[in-house]
Amino acid sequence: MPSPESSSRERAPILVVGGGITGLTCAIEAAEAGNPVVLIEKSAYLGGHVAAFHRYFPKLCPPPCGLEINTRRLHNNPKIEILTLAELESLSGSPGNYQAVVRTAPRFVKESCTLCGACTAVCPTQVPDLFNCGIGKKKAIHRPYPMAFPLQFRIDRSACPQGCRLCADACKFGAIDLDQRPAKKTLRVASVVLATGWEPYDAGKIDNLGFGRFPHVVTNVMLERMAAPDGPTGGRILRPSDGKPPRSVAFVQCAGSRDRNHLPYCSGVCCTASLKQATYIREQYPEATITVFYIDLRTPGHLEDFAAKTVAANQLELIKGKAGKVEQDTETGNLLVTAEDVLKGRKSTREYDLVVLAVGMVPQSSGLPINLLIDEFGFVSSGPPGVYASGCVKRPAEVAASIRDATGAALKAMRNRTNGAGHE
Amino acid sequence: MADALMLQPDPEFVREVNANSGGELKKCFQCATCTSVCSLSTEARPFPRKQVLEAQWGLKDRLLGDPAIWLCHDCADCTARCPRGARPSAVMDALRMAAIRRMAFPRFMGSLVGDMETGLIVLFISALLLLAIALLPISKFAVRPFVFAQMFPKDRLEPMFFAVGAFVVLALTIGTVRFIRALRAAGARGPILPALVPALLEILRHRRFGNCNAGQTRRLGHLLTLYGFVGLAAMGTAVGIGSMFGLIDTPLPNLYPLKIFANVCALVLVIGISILVAKRLTDPEKRAGSSFCDWYFLALLGGIGLTGILSEGLRLAQSLDWMFFIYYVHLSLVLTLFLCTPYSKFVHFLYRTIAMAATWQESKSPGRGQLRPGGPEVVSSEGPGLPHVMGTRS
Repeated sequence: MPSPESSSRERAPILVVGGGITGLTCAIEAAEAGNPVVLIEKSAYLGGHVAAFHRYFPKLCPPPCGLEINTRRLHNNPKIEILTLAELESLSGSPGNYQAVVRTAPRFVKESCTLCGACTAVCPTQVPDLFNCGIGKKKAIHRPYPMAFPLQFRIDRSACPQGCRLCADACKFGAIDLDQRPAKKTLRVASVVLATGWEPYDAGKIDNLGFGRFPHVVTNVMLERMAAPDGPTGGRILRPSDGKPPRSVAFVQCAGSRDRNHLPYCSGVCCTASLKQATYIREQYPEATITVFYIDLRTPGHLEDFAAKTVAANQLELIKGKAGKVEQDTETGNLLVTAEDVLKGRKSTREYDLVVLAVGMVPQSSGLPINLLIDEFGFVSSGPPGVYASGCVKRPAEVAASIRDATGAALKAMRNRTNGAGHE
Repeated sequence: MADALMLQPDPEFVREVNANSGGELKKCFQCATCTSVCSLSTEARPFPRKQVLEAQWGLKDRLLGDPAIWLCHDCADCTARCPRGARPSAVMDALRMAAIRRMAFPRFMGSLVGDMETGLIVLFISALLLLAIALLPISKFAVRPFVFAQMFPKDRLEPMFFAVGAFVVLALTIGTVRFIRALRAAGARGPILPALVPALLEILRHRRFGNCNAGQTRRLGHLLTLYGFVGLAAMGTAVGIGSMFGLIDTPLPNLYPLKIFANVCALVLVIGISILVAKRLTDPEKRAGSSFCDWYFLALLGGIGLTGILSEGLRLAQSLDWMFFIYYVHLSLVLTLFLCTPYSKFVHFLYRTIAMAATWQESKSPGRGQLRPGGPEVVSSEGPGLPHVMGTRS
């Protein structure tokens, strides 16, 4: 018969910080093993970057499919409490008995929202569509993306005109509450899993590659949205400023990666991701020239097989040599890419309609109210007892590896619920 | 195995280049960012990625005759962009020093490059030589108006300078022969003599310097230094010969056209050197990449300009106490520059010109690759790079 203290300890849930594929997996795995979980997510929806991807490698299947299965598992599991627009404000205590203060930003839309869209129709103002990496705009009151979970509208109040109540007046269900305030919630948790993930490196900092100056230079993350059926172009890959179909596309690998002036490390996924994205281009444009400029084509493990098959099946031109200079032809807007083909010892400048920068992953490890050991590149090496980093905040990883890591983190976090300090 | 390539690495050469380029040579992982950001490397002759690889491998013979090391104007764009901190521009500089050292005649003087002790010894020897001239029995010392010939009698000074000059010309000639042999052995086969004229025109215009992203400041500094120096050298030689044959009587009158021209040249030289020194001190990449060799050469040229102007001023002021001393320093520096010409950075005027001439033809007809549909190769245009157009990220 457990003592009252140990039974109350067993009731303390696991806190998962971050609702991307790592956090989602961790929360579901722990809950399905019988543990209560609180899952907090900074943005208005779950799924993180994976929700914005067009396809996974190496199977080239659509991520929304797997996310749908995860959403269903979430729905069916009463042990998971989900807080969106929520961030961890402080953490104190010890394994088995942590006090976590979670701050929640107002959504301004309640659960009674039926997604009818009457609010969006009357909304007079627009905000950049961040789900689409800033390509295009959307109304200040919006559904983050069609498949977003939780399925509720939200309002980005930063753009609302003073005193505007058009959406609230248009809502027949009284689901809009413009007076919502930020809230704080103190939770007792047994352990914490940090799955705050990554953000793409700011390509504007790589000034020799022209991003931000030339409209037809895009990042790999943007290309996912450009190819996605629910993206800004309905899945047609077109040049951003003139909407023309590209006849030639250059992928610039290591854009700001393995570079002491930017990210000194290799993210390990961008080479495979670019090859995957080359299949998007080939599918839509059978005649297009597709060139991949690389330093080393790093497709570790079984991905080497994917790489070989993809290169052969899609007539990709591979050039070993970093594209160090991207310029723009003023008349056509086309891009002039200069690189040296190291294997041939020849330097050349070639013209492309579209340039895709393969930017790396920046771990989201800063600003967390936890005393973490952070490595020289910003990844979390370790946390205090009972706090476990998982996924891309720990090391750059592809989705499959993040999912495996999340399952392992779930197991570690579960031990703190039964053993207090656990076995560190 | 007809295509087998026999490489002959020279580990000592690797150590030398590594030490003279800041010790980061082996950090290079051959990404070729350097070559693509370099505005001077061409399709047919890309650099400096290949040269860094060959330096890592110790392929001395290929490198010493590689004209590319002289086509580089050391703007350090590549070093600024290098993702590994391997300092490709410093490697190119170290390769130039290595080449100067090995073309030197007599060979032992080659050690002057990059060696502070030898540099100071040459300066000291020059000073002693001049002192000997000045201290030999003095005939009409310190008679008003004071003229420099009182301390350094022309009949001793001029033959000495011309003798040293003749030796320098001999050393430069032998260096040139060695250099051209190395160029030919390394495969640079372009005709040199007919291309000298366009190469010299390019040097006078400094267009390639302007193409370096490092900016127009350095181009201006180098151009002024070049013009000022060439003007002074021509004037000095003309006046020297003229006075030796009794055609010219020094000092020349202040408003004599040649005198005015020489004064302008001296000012231009000093301004040019000041710009180059300021650039080296303020640009962190240039500063870190500056070797003893660079500073020694700048100090010599700048010192000559300053002491020359100062000597003239002191003579005009008839300041007996200082004019002879400053002029003594001035002549010592000039003689040192003479003696150092084949063994210091100074000799780049010769080797770079020859290398530019030897590659002139290929630079005018770049090896154009076959045009590929959709992604045709574009030959980079001469002159300023393509303008950067502000675009909106939509």
